[in-house]
Amino acid sequence: MRRFLAVRLVQSLTTLLLLSLAVFILARATGDPLSLVLPMAATEEDYTNARRYLGLDRPLPEQYLSFLAKAVSGDFGTSLRARRPVNELLRERFPNSLKLAAFSMTVSLLVAFPLGVAAAVRRGTMVDTVAKTVAGLGQALPTFWVGIVLIEVVAGRLQWLPAGGTGGLAHYVLPGFTLGWFVLAGLMRLLRSSVLDVLDADYVRTARAKGASERAVIWRHALRNALIPVVTFAGVSFAILVTTAVVVETVFAWPGMGRLAYEAITGRDFPVIQAVVLVTGAVVAAVNLTVDVLYVWIDPRIRYG
Amino acid sequence: MRRAILSPLIVLCLLTATPTWAQPSGGELSVVLSSLSSEALDPILAGHIVKFYLSLMFDYLVGATPDGQLSPDGGVATRWETSADGKRWTFHLRRGVRFHTGDELTAEDVKVSIVRALGPRSTTGYAQGLRQLVKEIETPAPDRVVIVTKDASVMIPTLLSRLLSTEGMILPKKYLEAKGDDGFARAPVGSGPYRFVEQVSGSHVRLEAVPSHWRLGAPKYKTVVFKAVPEETTRIAMLRRGEADIVEISRERMKEVEHAGYTVHLRREDGQIEGWFVQPWSQTPIRDKRVREALNLAIDRKELAETVFGGQAAPAAVPFGLSWSFPEIKFKITPEMVYAYDPGRAKKLLADAGYANGFAIDVFAFQLPGFPEGRAMAEAIAGYWQNVGLKPRLIPVDYPAFRKQWFDRTAPGALGYYNIANRDWIGTYALIDKYAAPTAKSASIRDPELDGLMDALIHQPDREKTYALMRSIFNRLRTEHLGLPLVYYHTPYATSKRIPRWNPGAVMYELNIDEVVAGK
Repeated sequence: MRRFLAVRLVQSLTTLLLLSLAVFILARATGDPLSLVLPMAATEEDYTNARRYLGLDRPLPEQYLSFLAKAVSGDFGTSLRARRPVNELLRERFPNSLKLAAFSMTVSLLVAFPLGVAAAVRRGTMVDTVAKTVAGLGQALPTFWVGIVLIEVVAGRLQWLPAGGTGGLAHYVLPGFTLGWFVLAGLMRLLRSSVLDVLDADYVRTARAKGASERAVIWRHALRNALIPVVTFAGVSFAILVTTAVVVETVFAWPGMGRLAYEAITGRDFPVIQAVVLVTGAVVAAVNLTVDVLYVWIDPRIRYG
Repeated sequence: MRRAILSPLIVLCLLTATPTWAQPSGGELSVVLSSLSSEALDPILAGHIVKFYLSLMFDYLVGATPDGQLSPDGGVATRWETSADGKRWTFHLRRGVRFHTGDELTAEDVKVSIVRALGPRSTTGYAQGLRQLVKEIETPAPDRVVIVTKDASVMIPTLLSRLLSTEGMILPKKYLEAKGDDGFARAPVGSGPYRFVEQVSGSHVRLEAVPSHWRLGAPKYKTVVFKAVPEETTRIAMLRRGEADIVEISRERMKEVEHAGYTVHLRREDGQIEGWFVQPWSQTPIRDKRVREALNLAIDRKELAETVFGGQAAPAAVPFGLSWSFPEIKFKITPEMVYAYDPGRAKKLLADAGYANGFAIDVFAFQLPGFPEGRAMAEAIAGYWQNVGLKPRLIPVDYPAFRKQWFDRTAPGALGYYNIANRDWIGTYALIDKYAAPTAKSASIRDPELDGLMDALIHQPDREKTYALMRSIFNRLRTEHLGLPLVYYHTPYATSKRIPRWNPGAVMYELNIDEVVAGK
């Protein structure tokens, strides 16, 4: 297991290194950020000075190595737009995204598990139809549309919940639901099909033959074996929720990583773009590693090493 | 097992769900805008685009009235005068003005603030102009500042006033020295009616009232929060729920909001939609005055104002002719200055210039903050030009991509545009300079006669003569068709029912929040 973890860690670091190179090149290929930072009246001399001040006049390999060396120590430079250390922006935005993603994921799991399992166990019944409808809508309706409708109806007309911004638990409901519905739908479909698959398996029949209650058969024997694809999906979804909820964060005025990325891209704020991409990469790598470890816990037959 | 996974997540949510946007009570004023722009807190890093919240935190050297006049009652300077040669401007400072640290504001603070605004770190809009003008700053007494200029100039008071950008905001020298530039940018201190409390990037800036302020008395609201909410539906829902007091809305949804019972306030002629042609023109048909006139005559401005801008705009007549600049210099738009919609004459002019069969012209189509109609307008212009035989090519881009081509001069003769904020005549002069100065990357006009007028004005010490020169500049821009003046647009804001009255004013990038919060 330790060897496996070490290998995966090296793989993750290599991925992050390649990612850093790719984002460094791409961020600079999209245009000169100084044309957005400097005032319109700026002369060529002002541009030269600013380039020197920001270190943009150095050869690209030198800029990259300097960026990499600083990034390793957690210094991502200064935002060209906000003129603040990128670290500060990440410290403000990342927890907001994490909290919203945690809320969405919690709600999704709480709904998807009972409904997905029930749909499989009572296949063809009303419960199954409801579950399939919820899943179908969740995956078919565009997130921005769901968000706008919820804001207009629930916040604007009924005035039950806050329309946007961060705050108490009530502020999480609409963005959390909007963000989580798609994940919920996916989880539920996956759970339903996985449970259906294992319900026909030999070991389930054996458990039933040995006199185990239906409840024990489903929750102890069937569900545990159906979890592997669900955990994979949930892990990837969680990483996506944390890092790229651009639409939901914009619609609900949620100051998270997705909006930070959007603002940075539209403003050609490449120190922020680089940092966001690297943090996203790190989150995805960490989640994948966690999922791999969870596999072992869920299914003791899985061994690494 | 599930409990083990889920419980920490639920607990995390509950523990971290501390309200950061409180509901507005009688004590909080909530201003909800589509963006807080760069969100910078240091005046020299921010510039005019974040003036709407900085002007509550900082006092200006020279104040201004909401209708755009310099005022001895609204700034730190109670009066100012110039020497006979026009090269020394003396400002007499108000006594008893205190920073939020408790220190009294003196001439040294004014000096440090201006020097800093002109320094290399500053990226404000008028810093470059001031650098060219200011020679040195003297502080003969704690309540007196003398600004010595290289040449005689009438512009100094306005350039350091609330009418324009942030160069005239006064910062505390002692606090700056103690905190350094970076420390100040994180926790700024001024002498305005509200002090800085908190900033959450991408979310809000929160300010808290001082007990009493020399200009506004004891502010009505204990806190003022400026919130960034990009989606309009969300902003309107916040208004309905009482989470917002002043809300930026679009021209498109104005009637709907009014219908819902909210008052909509217009900042009339908030800006001008101005088109221009990317340099160099010399090898393109744009170099011909008749072509430029034809391009103007082909556009139905009234229709544009009624359709694309939902009736919340008025036709513009003079390139870069920002209307708030007109009253002081006594410039009037005469009926013959207004471009008629005359496609027939446009076709004739094109034929006279040798383009009877038209020519290809690139039209960049992009949206801008505060100008969501950008792409629709570009499409309409392309349609008008197609009607007179031109072959417009629409290029959908985002603004940064256009700006790169504009500054790099890689799309000669192509149409660009901007929603230029309205401003007084000195601000307008500086703006024209940005489009006309040959050394500026943004240079889009090449006209030696205009250059001569611009140069004469900057060196003219006599106020009436500068007014005459400014009128000549506008006339030259109009007669040579050195741009594509399209419309003056109005910007709507909706207010909650607890804001009885509010005049959003006629000062560049200002919302006149003073009127809402003033305690006297």
